[in-house]
Amino acid sequence: MPFEAYLSSEVVLQAKVASVFDVTLPTSDVDDDGEHVVPFELRQWFARLRLLEGVPFAYLVADGALLPLESIRFFYIDRRWTDALVQGALSVGTVSSDDRTQLEQLYPVVRNEVDEAEHKVRAVGGEGAKSTSGTITGFLMRSKAVSGWPGLHVRAYDRELPEGDNAIIPESDTRRLRLLRLERLAPAVLLALFDGIPQIVHIEEPRRGIQFGVRLDATEDLRTFEPWIPPRDRNDPQKVINAKVPVPCRPGSPGVLDMKHLNEALIARPDTHLSGDGVVDAAEYALEMLRFPYRQVFGDVSQPVGQLDQVFKPTVKIEAEAGEGAPSLIERFKGGLA
Amino acid sequence: MPDPGFFVLHPAVLPPLEAGGYTLEGEIEDMPAGAVESLAAQLTVSAPRFTMPPDQILSTFPPANSSGAFQATLPQIVLKRRTLPWERQPDVGDPHLPWLALVVIAEGEGTLSAEAKVEDCITPGLNPPLPHPEDRDTATSIYLEVTQTVVDGVFPAKEDARLLAHVREVDVGDSELMGADDDGFVAVVIANRLPQPDFDDQGRPLPRKYLACLINIEAQHTKLPPPPPDFHFSFDAKAIVQDPGLQATQFLDQPDKLVMGGPAPTSGAAAAVGLSAPRSPDTTTAAVRTGAAWSKNVPAVSAAAVSATAVNASEVVRDAMAANWRIPIIALEPTYRFPVLTHWSFTVSGDPTFEELMKGLDVGLIGTLVGDLPPKTPEQIEREKQRTPPPAPARLAPELAETGHLGLVHQTRRGDKVEAWFRGPASPHPTVREQPDQNGRLPLAHASDQLLLVVPDGREDVSLAAAFEIGRLLALSQPAVVNALLRWRQEQFGAARAAQLAAEALAAVAKALGAKFPARDAGLGALVGRQLVLAAASRPEKVLAPSRPLVDPGRPLTYATGDLDTLVANGLGFSLDAVRKAAEQVGVLAALADTAVASAHDREPVLTGPGFAGLQAELDRTVTALAADVLKQPPAPAPTPAPAPKPAPVPAVEAAARPRRRARKDALDRLLDSLEKPS
Repeated sequence: MPFEAYLSSEVVLQAKVASVFDVTLPTSDVDDDGEHVVPFELRQWFARLRLLEGVPFAYLVADGALLPLESIRFFYIDRRWTDALVQGALSVGTVSSDDRTQLEQLYPVVRNEVDEAEHKVRAVGGEGAKSTSGTITGFLMRSKAVSGWPGLHVRAYDRELPEGDNAIIPESDTRRLRLLRLERLAPAVLLALFDGIPQIVHIEEPRRGIQFGVRLDATEDLRTFEPWIPPRDRNDPQKVINAKVPVPCRPGSPGVLDMKHLNEALIARPDTHLSGDGVVDAAEYALEMLRFPYRQVFGDVSQPVGQLDQVFKPTVKIEAEAGEGAPSLIERFKGGLA
Repeated sequence: MPDPGFFVLHPAVLPPLEAGGYTLEGEIEDMPAGAVESLAAQLTVSAPRFTMPPDQILSTFPPANSSGAFQATLPQIVLKRRTLPWERQPDVGDPHLPWLALVVIAEGEGTLSAEAKVEDCITPGLNPPLPHPEDRDTATSIYLEVTQTVVDGVFPAKEDARLLAHVREVDVGDSELMGADDDGFVAVVIANRLPQPDFDDQGRPLPRKYLACLINIEAQHTKLPPPPPDFHFSFDAKAIVQDPGLQATQFLDQPDKLVMGGPAPTSGAAAAVGLSAPRSPDTTTAAVRTGAAWSKNVPAVSAAAVSATAVNASEVVRDAMAANWRIPIIALEPTYRFPVLTHWSFTVSGDPTFEELMKGLDVGLIGTLVGDLPPKTPEQIEREKQRTPPPAPARLAPELAETGHLGLVHQTRRGDKVEAWFRGPASPHPTVREQPDQNGRLPLAHASDQLLLVVPDGREDVSLAAAFEIGRLLALSQPAVVNALLRWRQEQFGAARAAQLAAEALAAVAKALGAKFPARDAGLGALVGRQLVLAAASRPEKVLAPSRPLVDPGRPLTYATGDLDTLVANGLGFSLDAVRKAAEQVGVLAALADTAVASAHDREPVLTGPGFAGLQAELDRTVTALAADVLKQPPAPAPTPAPAPKPAPVPAVEAAARPRRRARKDALDRLLDSLEKPS
C-alpha cells in the first residue's frame, strides 16, 4: 500500500497548528475564546444574575401593594441596583487587598463583558435588533391570565405601529424589542424584561388551534350573559366588520345557542353576503363562529386609537401556532365541494 | 390543497356510497351460447356506528379532563375522515344531515350507561326502528339516557345539526392537528352549547363539570327539538335545564328499590309524596345509608347526606351525586337513549376569560398603588367627613415615595430599629448608571464598603446595599460559582501577573520569531504555546532543525574510480578499443550491439567470449580464497590456477550440510562443474 514516505517537520507543524486553532479558537462566543477576561461560565452567571435570576421575589417587589392581584406593572431596571448585585457576587473570595486592587482595575472590563453577555442569555433567533440604549425595561404581571393561559405571547415594539394594533407583525420585525427574559416567577406572576424602551406591548392569548365561540358580555347580575359575535363577510373573511351581532339563546337553557334565529340575523345583514342562497350552510356558520386569540395591547393611551372596541377586535388573521417564524395562518372561505 | 397558512371550509363532503349493505348485480348479454346467469355480489360499506375508532379522533376541545374558562367557546371534536359525519343518512333523502351530533350536558342532566349491548343502546320501542340493526361495528357500547326536557333544552334542533358539522381543509404541514392526518381534510363537529359555570348566591362562579358526547342520531332525528319559537339575546348561566332535585328525592325515598332493582315509580304520586312529606334528618340519613351500602357513590353521597339537613338534603345530595353521570334517571317523562361513540368530560371553572382578565388588569408603572386617585377636592373631603362611619382602609397603604422607594423597617448594625428606604431593581423612572471616569475607572464596592446612602430626609437608602448583599449571598450559595470565581482569580489573575513579568522575555522571543503578541490574553501558557507554534511553523529551520531533504544521496562508490567507459568495458569483459574502432564506422549503438560480452546461461556453453579467461581466473581466485577461508587453510598461491584441492575431512556439520547442497544443483554448482570438466 503506498504511503507518503516523508513527513516533513513543516507538515507536522501545520497539522499541529490546525489542531490547536480548531480546538481552542472557536469563532463563536460559547466558550473562553481568549477575547474575554471573564471566563464564560462566570460571564453567563453574572448575566443571569443581572436579569434577576435567583433574586428573591421580596427584593423585586418589596410590598404586596406594589403588585396587587390582577395587575400589571411596568418598570425600568435600575442598572445601579443590578450592578450592585454583580459587585456583591464579585466580592466573594476577595481576600487580600491585592485581590481587591486587581478587581478594581478589571471591573470596567468585567462590566462591559457582562453587558454583552446579557443579550445572549435568551438567545432566540430572529427577535429583532439589539438595542443600543442600554436601558432595560420590563413588566411584572400578576393575574389569573398568567396561571390559566400558560404560553402567553409577549411582544414589545419600540414605536407605535402604523399597521394598527391588530396587524400581523412578523416575529423578526426590526421594530420589535428583544425579550431578555420571560419567565413565570410564580404560577400567576409573569416577569418580562425588554432590551430597550417599548412604546407598545402586546400580550396575546396562546394560540391553541382553531376554536369556535362567541364573545360574552356580562350583565349587572353577573350571571346573565349576552353573547355576541363579530360578523364576517362570506366573500372576504378578512374584512373587519365593526359590529356586534347579538346571539340569540334558547330560553331556559344556559349557553344553548338558537342557531336558527342567529342565522336569520346574519342573513339579514347585507355586509355578510350570506343572503345569496337564503340559507347559511355549515361552512358559513363555522366561519361566523370562528374565535381568534385575543390580543391585549398596552401603549400610550394619549395616542388616538379610535374606539376601544375596535382596538380589541381581532381580525380573521391569526398566526400559526407552529413556532416562531411560521407563516401566518389566514383563514379563507370557499364554497363547498360540488 | 390550500397554501400554507390558509384553510378552507367546506359545508360537507358527501361519501360516494353511504354505509350499508349493497348488492352488486352483473349481467352479461348477447353471448353466443345463450344467456349467462347474472351475478349478485354482496357488498358492505362499513362505517363506525356505535363506537368511534380512536384513530379517527384527531383532537377535542376543550381537552379532556381539563379545567378552564371555556364559557365562551363551543366544544368541538375533529375527526380524521372527512366524510365521516355523512356516511349514514338518519333522514333518508337528506344527505346533508349528519348522523353525528356533539351534545354537551351538565351534571345531572343525563346518564351515561355502562357498557351495554348495542341493541340496548338505543331508545327501546322506537318507531320506526333503527334500520339495519345487524349493521354494527361493535357488540357493546354505551349510551346516553336523557329526558325529554333535556333533549328539548340542550340538544341541537334538526335544522341546526346540519350546521354543526363541516369539513376543514388545511395545509398538511401547517396545523397542530395534522400530525395524524394524511390528506389535510378533517371533519369537525361543533356543539351548540356554551358550557357555563355554576354561580353561587353572591354571583361568584363555581366550577361545573360537563360531559361532551358524540352521539348517533340515526332513527332518532325526529326526537330532536324544533327550533324554539322565541329567543332571548341573553341567557341565565344559573338556569337549570332539568332539576335533578326530583330524582334526588326519589332516590332518598326508595334507595333499596333503586339499587336492588324493581319497578320504577310509576305514578307521580310517589314523587309528590316525596316532595311534600316532611322528613326528619334522621330518616334521611338512614335512608341514604341503607341505600348507599350498594350504591356506586357511597362516600360522597353518604357524607353529603350526613351533613345535610332536611331542608336542603336534596340539593346537597344532588351535588354529591353529580360527581358523575352514572346516576340512574328516574323520571316521569319519556327518556331517550342515544348511542355514544365517544365522550369526554371537562370542567368550566367559571374564571374570567382571558379577554376579561386582560381588560380588567390594573395597569401602571411600578409604584402605582391600587386606589391611587387624583387629589380630593375640598368638597369630597367634606362629604367624606359627613359620612358615618368614615371609610377606613383595610390595610395601611405602604409608605411609597415618588421615586418608587418604599419605607421599610430597618435594623441598623447597632441594633437600632429605624425606618429606611428600599427600592428593588424595578424603578418607575429611568436611572442613571455609573459611567467610567476619564481614566476608565469604575467604582467597585467591596464587602467591607457601605453602599448605604443617606437621603435628604435623613433616612438611609439601603437599596444598593441590599442588592450587593443578595448578589454576594447568591454567589456564595452556589459552590460552583464560588469555585469558578476562585479559579478565575488564581489562574487568570496569576497569569496576568506572569504576563507582566514575562513581557520582557517575551519581547525578545517575539523579536526572534518575528511574531506579534496581543496585549492580553486569557492564559499566558496558552498564549505562548499558540504563538510559539505559529511562529515555529512559519520558520521551522530557525526553530527546530533544517527540513529533511526529500531525496537522500547515494553512498560513494569507492571502486568506481577512473574512466566510466573503461570500467564498464573491463567489467563486461570486452575490448574498449575494439568497440571504439567499430563505433567510428557503424556508430556507437551498432558497435555495442555487435560486441559480445561474457554472459552466463543455463544451457551449454556456460561461458563464451574473449573475456572468459580473465573472468575464469578471477573466479578461481575467489573460489579458492573462499574455500581456503572455509577450510582454515592459507590460500593457495594465486598465479597458477591449480585444481581444486582435495577436500579435507570436514566437520560433521559440513558433512550433514553437503548432501543437501548436492540435492539440487544451482547455477553456481553448474558453473563449478563446467569449470572442472575442461580441467
